[in-house]
Amino acid sequence: MTEIFLTAGLLVTLFVLLGLGVWVGFALTLTGALGMLIFSNAPIGPIIATTLWGHSHSWALAALPLFILMGEILLRSRLSEHMFKGLAPWLGKVPGKLLHVNILGCAIFAAVSGSSAATAATIGKMSVPELRSRNYPMGLIIGTLAGSATLGLLIPPSIILIVYGVATEQSIARLFIAGVLPGLLLVSMFAIFIGIYGLVRPDLFPAEKQPYTFMEKLHGSKRLIPILLLIVGVIGSIYIGIASPTDAAAVGVILSLVLAWFNGALSKNMFFDALMGATKTSCMIAFILAGAGFLTVSMGFTGIPRNLAAWIDTLQLSQYALLAALTVFFIILGCFLDGISVVVLTTAIIMPMIEAAGIDPLWFGIYLVIVVEMSQITPPVGFNLFVIQGLVKENILQIAAAAFPFFLLLLVAVGVITIFPEIVTVLPSLMDAR
Amino acid sequence: MAAQSSWYWGIHMRRHLTKLYNVSGAFAAILIFAICLLVSVQVIANLITKLFGTNLALTIPSYADFSGYFLAASSFMALAYTFKHGGHIRVLLVRDTLNANLKNIVDRFVLFIAAVTASYMTYYMALLTLEAYEFGDQSFGIIAIPLFIPQFFVFLGLLIFSISIFDNFFSSIKSEEKTSDEQELS
Repeated sequence: MTEIFLTAGLLVTLFVLLGLGVWVGFALTLTGALGMLIFSNAPIGPIIATTLWGHSHSWALAALPLFILMGEILLRSRLSEHMFKGLAPWLGKVPGKLLHVNILGCAIFAAVSGSSAATAATIGKMSVPELRSRNYPMGLIIGTLAGSATLGLLIPPSIILIVYGVATEQSIARLFIAGVLPGLLLVSMFAIFIGIYGLVRPDLFPAEKQPYTFMEKLHGSKRLIPILLLIVGVIGSIYIGIASPTDAAAVGVILSLVLAWFNGALSKNMFFDALMGATKTSCMIAFILAGAGFLTVSMGFTGIPRNLAAWIDTLQLSQYALLAALTVFFIILGCFLDGISVVVLTTAIIMPMIEAAGIDPLWFGIYLVIVVEMSQITPPVGFNLFVIQGLVKENILQIAAAAFPFFLLLLVAVGVITIFPEIVTVLPSLMDAR
Repeated sequence: MAAQSSWYWGIHMRRHLTKLYNVSGAFAAILIFAICLLVSVQVIANLITKLFGTNLALTIPSYADFSGYFLAASSFMALAYTFKHGGHIRVLLVRDTLNANLKNIVDRFVLFIAAVTASYMTYYMALLTLEAYEFGDQSFGIIAIPLFIPQFFVFLGLLIFSISIFDNFFSSIKSEEKTSDEQELS
């Protein structure tokens, strides 16, 4: 009984620290230290030092700053312009028309960037003013952008999958490949949704004036070819196993520098900004990971995750019931915490429960990322909402309302991969078979 | 006179501290680019090996170890710079609803907690580094790298981080109306 009381106290401490505005890395470390103090006689200081060191120098983690740097360079390389000019000519006749530019543009940028906020900013910078000037309904412009930008988290390279992979000691290459089909599933669901919308309410969609000839379309898309090659190169080399994610990321950085140079966007300042931006983001994540690493070790001492797993086991829930409960829990948590914090808290506390329930940790990683994607577009803390607010200057609640259909589509996708887990596991298992 | 010299000292101190944060941040950035170059060169070497057969097998010895150590040194050396630029994530939802007075108190309390925690981490990281130095701990790769070298930068980064948080803490005590320059970032 006292144990339950102490466990609850520990959780309350964590949320009070977070609520006061203590930086996430410190809040995790302090909660871990308190847990060790209460539940064990282990030496706290030396264990903190060992985990800080142990969780920060892995080869796999080196992919993190490199993929962030690649995204930072590309978002400064006039990609958004090319994306609009390259995609728009093909889409004028499709039901849903140019709104598909948001969906496809985000999907393409997601495949070179691991961040959903960066995806929203890069694509939205060009598409929002263009679509607005053509009188597309604002709600749909915002909704498609907010929803599709969350793909930045799922479609490889994905920063959050690197975090999950490092924290749970899963292969990052396999996680990346596992994200490909669910990512494509979401892209098609979003596109079909907008397509149907276009068929049901054609009056909302302005007519596209100039028809393009086939050659004009090809000409407009020419500039997209390098970026598509970059995507195929990065993801392909990981899939066929000639490069680890870290190798692919390093080459990706060099190639994106070359691409930026060809676009005339490369300058000393631009490179400096990109490098410092990547240094900050990667430092922020590494610090949270170090704190989470210590919390995980501390939780091992307290036995809380084991007891939680045992308790869930006594409830005899089906996997579906457990996942349904977790989904609700994550959606609520995601309203207040950023995605990376949700992932590291999950891996520190409920991972043993997931394994005890017989859920594949590879599949769970993808599931978790889709749930975190939903949290990117729910108020009050949805980072995509803030980014889009910066672009369109509308009320945050209106933006959230516009994004809500896409929240539901993400929820449907969670259901689909739960019923058909093969969507996640088939590509990684083909990778192993070779 | 005394007030004037303390003002003078303060200006100097500020300049030195800002320089300290910027230099350590730049060092961290260089390390990240170094990882990128190191790994790219190795990938090219792998390609050459594939094309021309194994008699030309080129490897940068222990390149994975080096990348990992560069990463650790970079992540920690960038802590203070990232902190000063508001790059570390925190939840400001509750804090932002407080009135100005309460907000000030909470901010100082949070800075104090963070400064003490960072100092605690710094102290134990120093002990770990000293231990690695005394026992001569080395990596297991082709090149045996003494572990105290990368660990020293982890310690140094934590030390500068602690200084930067104390810096903010004392600044917030000194100026009543100073508002926090931190912001929530994704």
